[in-house]
Amino acid sequence: MIDPIFLAEAAVNGVLLGGVLALLALGLNLIFGVIDIVWIAYVDLVMLCMYLVYFLVQVYGWPVWAGGLAAVALGAALGIAVHLLIISPILGSAPINQLLATGGLLFFLQSFATFLWTTDHRSVRLSLPSYDLGGIFLPLTRVIPFAISILALVALYLFLTRTFVGTAIRAVSQDREAMGLMGANPHRIYLVTSAVGGLMAGLAGALLIFLYSVHPFFGGQLGPLTFMICVLGGLGNMVGAFVASFIMSEIISIAGVLWSTEMGYVIAFVVFIVMIFVRPGGILARRG
Amino acid sequence: MKSLRVPLILPLVAALVLATTPPPVADAQGQSIKIGVLFDHTGPFAAGGSLNCWRGAKMAIDLVNEKGGVLGKYKIVQVDGDGQSKAEVAINEAERLLNAEKVDILAGIYSSAHAVPLAEKVDKQKKFLWITTAISSKVFDGRNLQYTFRPQATGDQFGALSVAYINEFARDKLKKDPKALRIALIHEDGAYGTDVANGSEVKAKELGLNIVLKEGYSINAPDLSSLVTKLRSQRPDVLLHTGYNPDIALFLRQAKEQGLRLQAYIGHGAGHSQIDKLKEAFGAKEIEGFHTLDPIASQLLDPKKLKPGVGEMTAEMVKRYKAQFDKDVTDRAIAPHVSMGFNNMWILLNDVLPRAISKHGGFGADALAKAARETDIPEGGTMQGYGVKFFPPGHRFAGQNERAFPAVFEIIEGKFELVYPKTVATASPLLPLPASSPLAAK
Repeated sequence: MIDPIFLAEAAVNGVLLGGVLALLALGLNLIFGVIDIVWIAYVDLVMLCMYLVYFLVQVYGWPVWAGGLAAVALGAALGIAVHLLIISPILGSAPINQLLATGGLLFFLQSFATFLWTTDHRSVRLSLPSYDLGGIFLPLTRVIPFAISILALVALYLFLTRTFVGTAIRAVSQDREAMGLMGANPHRIYLVTSAVGGLMAGLAGALLIFLYSVHPFFGGQLGPLTFMICVLGGLGNMVGAFVASFIMSEIISIAGVLWSTEMGYVIAFVVFIVMIFVRPGGILARRG
Repeated sequence: MKSLRVPLILPLVAALVLATTPPPVADAQGQSIKIGVLFDHTGPFAAGGSLNCWRGAKMAIDLVNEKGGVLGKYKIVQVDGDGQSKAEVAINEAERLLNAEKVDILAGIYSSAHAVPLAEKVDKQKKFLWITTAISSKVFDGRNLQYTFRPQATGDQFGALSVAYINEFARDKLKKDPKALRIALIHEDGAYGTDVANGSEVKAKELGLNIVLKEGYSINAPDLSSLVTKLRSQRPDVLLHTGYNPDIALFLRQAKEQGLRLQAYIGHGAGHSQIDKLKEAFGAKEIEGFHTLDPIASQLLDPKKLKPGVGEMTAEMVKRYKAQFDKDVTDRAIAPHVSMGFNNMWILLNDVLPRAISKHGGFGADALAKAARETDIPEGGTMQGYGVKFFPPGHRFAGQNERAFPAVFEIIEGKFELVYPKTVATASPLLPLPASSPLAAK
């Protein structure tokens, strides 16, 4: 029987992981909800931003905050570039063609990163303390990214609900034809959405470089889980993705301690499969 | 009836062509030998040691070619394949090399997850496979392979040796009865990690040692904090870890942050043997006292303990590695994977191939297999110290080198020292973990 204190620590681990997963999932889900195209290469954009922070901070000695801001700017620029160069020309194509195009981008980015920076794993180390709260360890290197993730998600929520552009984005995601008929330009909204989604990727990159080593195939580590969370939460459903992030991370963490690390992922995937059958539209989708 | 002709005739013609195509014979002047060199150049295994293995193999081939080739006249044509750190890609690459590139020999293979399925497939095609790196004993165990050979030690040998090492030094260095030690085993859940962990478990049972946790994890797991929490709940003294990279970097970071405390930390090759990557991910002071197991990096061996001429080969390998790949690296920091690629390719090119050609009439798979079975290199006869003699057909591990052995290395004052077995040790073990290590028991 495991000591309850370790079970509590597992729950805390789940919360910290959930915050980071939510940041990834919401950026991806925002783009899907508005533009109706899944960016398979989303986590690979995060990878590029991680490389930028690595080089700026580790090689050129920039302060961490400046490296992070640069990554956010790069993410937004990448979001715009991907939309203009790849997504925009195929907006009217069959979904399979859209999927193949973003899949092609994924392979391009991985190969390009390998060509430029080799397959070496690169890390930025931050020496921050961990706090022992009655046997539960709270490492600042994970608490800070979690806190920034939550702040970013709140900012995204306020942007979508309290600004004119955010309202337009939500309107397009609900009915793009109607928005067009009302005189709005959905293409401009798509561009803004891609920039915001890319900005979220940049922020994720700026935070994840302090938790993970970056390498050209980093997308394979977090990409599949991010997509599962988006599907579980409901593609395009922001609140659903947020809730799904924490459901998945808590299952992985608590089942990992109760049974085994592998079993944690097995149970998370079983829950995912069952939920797809029970609620194919996502956990928060209305029945009927 | 007419429609049946083509399906009936085609296989007959194919069989006739196959039956009448002679295996490569060594009678033509200026003939070349095509070797498919299959490693992972991309994906997570590349930086985990695979690329260094390829570098070693390439340098060995270049050196032989500069001397005129095998027996001074058969140039080696190196055809590279990239397994991309994925088993299915490695299998497809092997098919391409064997059946499209028509290589005479397939060599290399870094990952056991690739080697286990590949060995059986290649052997069934009666093609010659020379494994330089992958260590899982499952590659050979009970399969009676006829055309697959491996000079490298096995994973269960790695696992057994780390337990024997702890058993040997527990009383003297850790001031504990070995049977009172709490030992935890964690491993990536592929063929490599599982084999090593099983080797440790069997040896621990044999010695009566106490395993408090044995658990696998996926190398792609995005979070290992629950594993760290579980380890803390078991309060291990010694942690034996088998992993690649970046999974070990992720684990070590999370272990440090979550307050895992140990008396000894022992890795088993792959990512644990890439000292520069460990330093970058975890810090130079922080990795002091970390162990790894691997076949011995040639440059760490005293050349006087080896057969004449072997030490010169090591010096040549080190010189070439610095000139071609990393001019700033210190000799001792060159990863053992470079030696694995170089030394094991060197054995193929300078022992097996010459005998196949001169004694068995060529370099077809049968001639190569006969020549390999006659290999008899005594201990001290290769750059990594071990001898080479392959278990014969019918043996449980037919094709595996029965004279191979790994060794225990430890990072002492920022560089690898050999600490076990005592016969090859260059330093006394640094146990328990020094206070500079964030994992050290306080």
